[in-house]
Amino acid sequence: MIHVDRKACPLTDSALRTVGLTKRYGRLMAVDDLTLEVAAGEVFGFLGPNGAGKSTTIRMLLGLIRPTAGRASVVGVDAADVTRAHQVLAYVPGDVALWPHLTGAEILHLLARIGPGTDLAYQDELIERFVLDPSKPARTYSTGNRQKVALVAAFATRAPLLVLDEPTSGLDPLMEREFRTAVTQARDRGQTVFLSSHQLAEVQAICDRVGILRAGRLVEVASVARLRALQRAEVTVAFTGTPPALSAVPGVETVEAIGDGQLRFFLTGPPAPALSVLAEADVTALTVREPSLEEIFLDYYGAEAAR
Amino acid sequence: MLPALVRKTWRDDRSSLIGWAVGVAAFTGIYTSFYSQFQGAAELKQDALPQGMLDFLGIADMLSPAGYLQATIFSLIGPLLVLMCAITLIARTIARPEEDGGMELMLANPLSRAAFAWQRVAAAGSALTAIAAIPWILLMIVVPWIGMDISLSRVAAASAGLVALVWCFAGIAFLVGAATGKRGAVLTITGGLAVATYMVNAIGGMLDGWHWVRWLSPFHYFIGTDPLHTGWHPVELLTLVLLGAATTTAGVILFDRRDIGV
Repeated sequence: MIHVDRKACPLTDSALRTVGLTKRYGRLMAVDDLTLEVAAGEVFGFLGPNGAGKSTTIRMLLGLIRPTAGRASVVGVDAADVTRAHQVLAYVPGDVALWPHLTGAEILHLLARIGPGTDLAYQDELIERFVLDPSKPARTYSTGNRQKVALVAAFATRAPLLVLDEPTSGLDPLMEREFRTAVTQARDRGQTVFLSSHQLAEVQAICDRVGILRAGRLVEVASVARLRALQRAEVTVAFTGTPPALSAVPGVETVEAIGDGQLRFFLTGPPAPALSVLAEADVTALTVREPSLEEIFLDYYGAEAAR
Repeated sequence: MLPALVRKTWRDDRSSLIGWAVGVAAFTGIYTSFYSQFQGAAELKQDALPQGMLDFLGIADMLSPAGYLQATIFSLIGPLLVLMCAITLIARTIARPEEDGGMELMLANPLSRAAFAWQRVAAAGSALTAIAAIPWILLMIVVPWIGMDISLSRVAAASAGLVALVWCFAGIAFLVGAATGKRGAVLTITGGLAVATYMVNAIGGMLDGWHWVRWLSPFHYFIGTDPLHTGWHPVELLTLVLLGAATTTAGVILFDRRDIGV
């Protein structure tokens, strides 16, 4: 039995710690010298484009794959010691696969039996909140429903650490809201949440701190406020007559003319100044695009960071 | 109380377990109960086929009860059926859930990999043993019922061989699946090995100077001792069981040490 009363063992105050964690597949460096510490009770976002090494890192944390170098521990337990380490964590995979002929209820029952301990009353509440029909066989479930089964099972545990790998990729917006509520409740209970994601908005909405992974390297550990500065929109306008004088407007960057009567620029921060300038021009069309995380990263950290 | 993982494995495999059990039972029951009607036809077949072909198919004579059981249940279709069942069921223990990702969720629980592997193989292995024992159970009933003139102990010896053969190939299939995590590898390698060793046993007996190669074939330890005429051969049966146990253990050890799902 492992006691995870945080007050009782101040030495293991970090919920998750990696030191020089590295995984190499042949010549490919999937995760490169990752050193990271997540404090107990924190909601930590693990942000990176697809293929950055987020899942590989998580699989090392779970002891599914062995690090080439370095080590990882969860709540003070070596991650390779899975029988002890998995007493203190619950996991939701990015792409949830379930045993096809078992019903949702049977799978939840199995996970509760072999898991780190489940609050069955809270599990029932979660089933209702996530609108999951547990009586159907898993082979009939959609991606979102399979994800719900894994989320319900994980949130219903009292494990001090929840490891969630892109947990909302198959959920609709309504369920995403339930997910955020469940994360908040987990935090209120003192559980640590390690959330991997490639969506800036999701991480901004629920995390305290964010680690940014790019091409296997941790490029930054930042507060969410810092992250906001990363967010920018790509605006394209078409106009007739005089071009709007955007160059000197605060928040506007890299204005360029693309063809006849068209401008493109990037907008950071409050859009009001740019909008008032545009209002004066004779704008015939306007499109705003949120760049993908990959584009933001490439722009912000440059191609160098990829090396 | 059995571990939850074992019970849920049976439950997940329930429909295919029932299917295989019904199939093997129907095959055994129908072939055996046709014994008396088949005698005339068997005579014809025996005359029509050259001796070499009969030897290869393992049907030395189809007229005696031992020859008939050998030809129908124990030489080709019976082993083929139970081995197909063994290979597909064992492919579900590790390779399939690893390929489709269903294993990750299980392995994130406080359960060692070795415990996971042993519980999966225990569930599949026990179900498989029950299916492979169906011919045994049915023959013990049908043979005296239709009045086949053969000692039940010898029929039991051959039937036990079928179970031991299944254990041997189940172990090999498990080893391949546990080591590679690939369902295709389990099916092709184990299936290929089954066909190749069947041929080795069949052809090795027919070529002068090549009899020794039969010792390499699990089929030799199952049927090469001619249990329907000679009865029990504990050493040969034990060889198959030990081979199954050794490959299973090796599979668990390899599974415990490798990276999962890459």
